[in-house]
Amino acid sequence: MGANASQLEKEIGLEQFPANEHFFGFVNFGNTCYCNSVLQALYFCRPFREKVLHYKQQVKSQKKETLLTCLADLFHSVATQKKKVGALSPKKFITKLRKENEHFDNYMQQDAHECLNYLLNTVADILTAEKKGTQEPENNSVHTKPDPTWVHEIFQGTLTNETRCLNCESVSSKDEDFLDLSVDVLQNTSITHCLRVFSSTETLCTEHKYYCEVCCSKQEAQKRMRVKKLPQILALHLKRFKYMEHLNRYIKVSHRVVFPLELRLFNTSDDAFNPERLYDLVAVVVHCGSGPNRGHYISIVKSHGFWLLFDDDVVDIIDASQIEEFYGVPSDLQKNSTETGYIFFYQSRE
Amino acid sequence: MAAQGEGGRRDEIKTHFGTPEGSYKLMHHSEYSKPNRAGFNGQTNPPVKVSFITVNDGTASSDRFCFNVGKELYVYSYRGVRKAPDLSKPIDKRVYKGTLPTCHDFNLHIKSPDSVLLLIGFSAGQVQLIDPIKKEISKLYNEEHLTDKTKVTCIKWVPHSPNQFLVSHGSGQMYLYNEELPCGQAPPHYQPFKQGDGFAVYTCKTKNTRNPLYRWVIGQGAINEFAFSPCSNYLAVVGQDGHLRVFQYNTMELIGTMKSFFGGLLCVCWSPDGKYIVTGGEDDLVTVWSFHENRVVCRGHGHKSWVNMVVFDPYTSCVVNGSTTDVNGSSVEVLGLTSQQPSLGVGESSNHIAKRDSHNFPAQDHSPSVISPQHPNGRHVQGNHNASSSTLDTNRALTCISYRFGSVGQDTELCLWDLTEDILKQPYGKPRTSSVGLTALNSSSASLPRSNSLPNSQKSNSVGYVVGNDVSINAYADGHGHPIQNAVMNANSKFATLSVSDRKEGAEKKEHKRNFSLAARNSDKSSVVKSNNNRVQDNAMKMYGTMACPRLDQVPILEPLVCKKVSHERLTSLTFREDCIVTACQEGIVLTWARPGKAVTDDT
Repeated sequence: MGANASQLEKEIGLEQFPANEHFFGFVNFGNTCYCNSVLQALYFCRPFREKVLHYKQQVKSQKKETLLTCLADLFHSVATQKKKVGALSPKKFITKLRKENEHFDNYMQQDAHECLNYLLNTVADILTAEKKGTQEPENNSVHTKPDPTWVHEIFQGTLTNETRCLNCESVSSKDEDFLDLSVDVLQNTSITHCLRVFSSTETLCTEHKYYCEVCCSKQEAQKRMRVKKLPQILALHLKRFKYMEHLNRYIKVSHRVVFPLELRLFNTSDDAFNPERLYDLVAVVVHCGSGPNRGHYISIVKSHGFWLLFDDDVVDIIDASQIEEFYGVPSDLQKNSTETGYIFFYQSRE
Repeated sequence: MAAQGEGGRRDEIKTHFGTPEGSYKLMHHSEYSKPNRAGFNGQTNPPVKVSFITVNDGTASSDRFCFNVGKELYVYSYRGVRKAPDLSKPIDKRVYKGTLPTCHDFNLHIKSPDSVLLLIGFSAGQVQLIDPIKKEISKLYNEEHLTDKTKVTCIKWVPHSPNQFLVSHGSGQMYLYNEELPCGQAPPHYQPFKQGDGFAVYTCKTKNTRNPLYRWVIGQGAINEFAFSPCSNYLAVVGQDGHLRVFQYNTMELIGTMKSFFGGLLCVCWSPDGKYIVTGGEDDLVTVWSFHENRVVCRGHGHKSWVNMVVFDPYTSCVVNGSTTDVNGSSVEVLGLTSQQPSLGVGESSNHIAKRDSHNFPAQDHSPSVISPQHPNGRHVQGNHNASSSTLDTNRALTCISYRFGSVGQDTELCLWDLTEDILKQPYGKPRTSSVGLTALNSSSASLPRSNSLPNSQKSNSVGYVVGNDVSINAYADGHGHPIQNAVMNANSKFATLSVSDRKEGAEKKEHKRNFSLAARNSDKSSVVKSNNNRVQDNAMKMYGTMACPRLDQVPILEPLVCKKVSHERLTSLTFREDCIVTACQEGIVLTWARPGKAVTDDT
């Protein structure tokens, strides 16, 4: 490890090494790479990291231990290291995660996407609860709906679900918020295309007919879901784990899906609030291996123009051209590369 | 989107497809590949590319072609739609160790039936010159990686120069070599020669002239491909920073820029008449850019992944001189140029340059008229020649302009596109056609507070400009007049459209300076790249909503004429030939598709 760390420093070069940046791997406690990879990706989502570190400064030590305080301690510990590179043990965080959620309370490989969801939702809940706690005494009636927390400010976007009745042509739309988008994996496509398909029009017919309030009856309808409010950080999840009924288990879909370093959305709604956002890829959680409960997770992140690969406690600098190794496998016959991009973090350029 | 997702199994690979001109058929007996395909794994290999040359050996089989696959490079006699020769007997086969061939280019001017010159670029940065027929020559350049360590991304002979060639690299740099000069034992030392917005050129200063002669540093990140214009005066360069940059090659002036919708641009090609450039990239789009109007004309959506290669079909592009009244069959010319590097005459170049240098681009730039009116071959595209009578005579029945181009992508699909006059004539910022697949997206344009007065103002603008000029001045009026209007009408939009013209002036003023500031003198590579860095990033934001990178609702969206899955593997190369289309995929299988009526039945 030591050798690796100093080599990384050498490769980047002292002058080139970004000031106030630390590249620290996380030790694996038995199949905890699903969590490590998500933590690294989130650490390099700068707006998120800054909020977590700010939270750490705010609360100091009087608070009772929560998943968020553990996260804040971990990020703070990385950010305040004397060395530039090395490895840390996220033991306290993992212990807390296992204690709080029985789903993760074992030594099995878990789904990194579930871990991300749980983490973001839990942090948001903690923040909401804390806000309530401080505000309630003053004015109880004003806040009927909880204010968005910084987790929402960073990750939350809005989808609008439009349904057009094919009988009366009336369109009803319903908005729903999301913290990440899960899209289907299609062979030899781009993530852009997967997003287009996510928002493609679906016809509701036969037993899936739609109850139209104007017609007051069940009618055939067209439905589509498009993005109305684009989040500051767009988290995209490729549904690479697919349940196969005849096998009675999940299999991994290793299809080749290319992802650009720069992204705009095509699937925005007509009334979208900020459809022109230009996103930069900042982190990718990569799944290696052939199945959901096997294999390994790593993450690649961008920091100050460098691409870094975090494989638990090992950190390597990689060339941007190596990212193509994580696109996936172009045909079912080839099984050689199973290191596939799984969760993508695109940050909006302001 | 109306596109029905991926409903049925689309995995079926097509062996023929229909177009308005007839059906294209796969010629099974003319399939080329490495002789032994066993155990092939093309995953991380460089894309397979194909280069053609015709040597007049007096026989019917005068075509040669070369393709790279993995560490190997093959040269075969190409027999078109006829049965392929014995694949175990290539004209030449090379196997490389430690480095992989990435691209190649035949010298189309110095050739004979028993001697051709083939340049090959490699993944570790080297360049080799070989004669695959005579097998006598074998010269190496950048052998010790002293010039550049990164992979060669594109290599081309400089048109009309017997011994100069250009090589672009993954480092974002491009070098001019002379095949006769040595590369030297020491790393080259560079001195600044020219600098402009997003690029810089250096010369290699030594007592004895050596390679490389020039070093270009362009944009941020890799240069992915470059292409000389048919007249050889201009050089179009696309790169990972998503920019298309068009240079006056000899004076090294930047004369036009475009930005992808997002992501890197991977490929670039000029229309046979040099009026349009089409690019393909990581936004899954093909984008057509007008050289004379300096603007994006339209985008094409058909691919489901990145576009690896895009190329005009000179044989199917239909061009009619709309100004002449006696348009009959004979003036409908099917362009007869070879697709790779069609070269028009050289004579037209000089006054051209002078005009480009005037920096009043685009309003006073007349260069299109130089290419067009008196060209001996008459292969110019012209719609509004008689501008004085009516600038908007687009509905004249006999006028017909249509360019065909094709693209291949990582989605394993081949798309053919028709770029028709109604698209080319559409004023900027007000698309008339909206594709079915994107109705949703385009429909938003209707709600924009913009549409009302455009056609009228365009007309008056055109008339105003027409007086002293001809041909495409109408187009200029469009290109020039609209951004300002847009800026006014889109006052509520986030990006000020006015910045196009402002920024352009600024950039060109900069180019006037021949004295370099101290900063510019700094020949340190990284600092140059760095300093370009921020600018490029800013540009991407600033350019959005301008003619260099329109919003989706500002330009029409083309739909492909044909969009077919023709391979299991991602497609990497496409060539249009007189009687066929040639595709190649990552696995190194080269397929020939006979044009309508050109199929040959050959018993195998």
